Amino acid sequence: MREINRILSLSAPALDRVFLFAMLLALAAILTIAMVVQYGLGEIPCPLCLLQRFAIFGCCFGLIKQLHSGSERGTGISLIFSILLLVISARQTLLDIVPRPGHEYVGSAIFGIHMPVWSIFIALGLLIGFAIRLTFLGGLHSAPAVESYLIRRLTRALAIYVAFICAINFLSVVVQCGMDECHTSGYRLLP
Amino acid sequence: MMAAIFATLLIAFIFDLLGYQRFALRCLFISLALCIVLFLWEIYSPVYGFRMPWLQVEVAPLSAPFAS
Repeated sequence: MREINRILSLSAPALDRVFLFAMLLALAAILTIAMVVQYGLGEIPCPLCLLQRFAIFGCCFGLIKQLHSGSERGTGISLIFSILLLVISARQTLLDIVPRPGHEYVGSAIFGIHMPVWSIFIALGLLIGFAIRLTFLGGLHSAPAVESYLIRRLTRALAIYVAFICAINFLSVVVQCGMDECHTSGYRLLP
Repeated sequence: MMAAIFATLLIAFIFDLLGYQRFALRCLFISLALCIVLFLWEIYSPVYGFRMPWLQVEVAPLSAPFAS
């Protein structure tokens, strides 16, 4: 038993990095799917949907920071943005839960569930993920950054990819909203 | 406003990639503050304020059957 504990304590930092990387990868995939739905299926995101997307980007920022450094600041940032995501998505779900003129779920449902409800699941998944990480893998003993060449290179590549899709989203927001209020009726700067 | 939020977020990512951690964090928190302001503005209704009266529920009479 003591030997198992010793092995676990030795592998905890590596597991911690893999766990964080998996969370970052999942969020990058979600953001990519959101873009595919927007550009591929022609669904224009609503203002609160864009703010939820922003919150997911903020979570990515915290995860990247956590993977690059040994401090727990990145986790703190991600937790702030996870709570922001939960608040925005819960409010939007409550706004649209009773269909009435001008207030119904924007976009089509995926597996029968609309985007703001999915966002609630994503936010809860993030909060549960961080709770599991801090409970089983976290703590000061796992704080020093693991010098894993592969994880560092993959994190760097993923960070560049997330920054790239953030740039695409910025351009998309400018085309959709201009410098004014956002609407789902169309892209403001396109004819 | 939305463009400003995503612009500051993008700048935060670029600063982070370039290694300017402090500036990246400042930009991130500026974008967070802008996001909160825009979120409150989006959900505010001149009629209802921040309330959601369509979520009102009725108290069922205790004597009524639960299923009919």
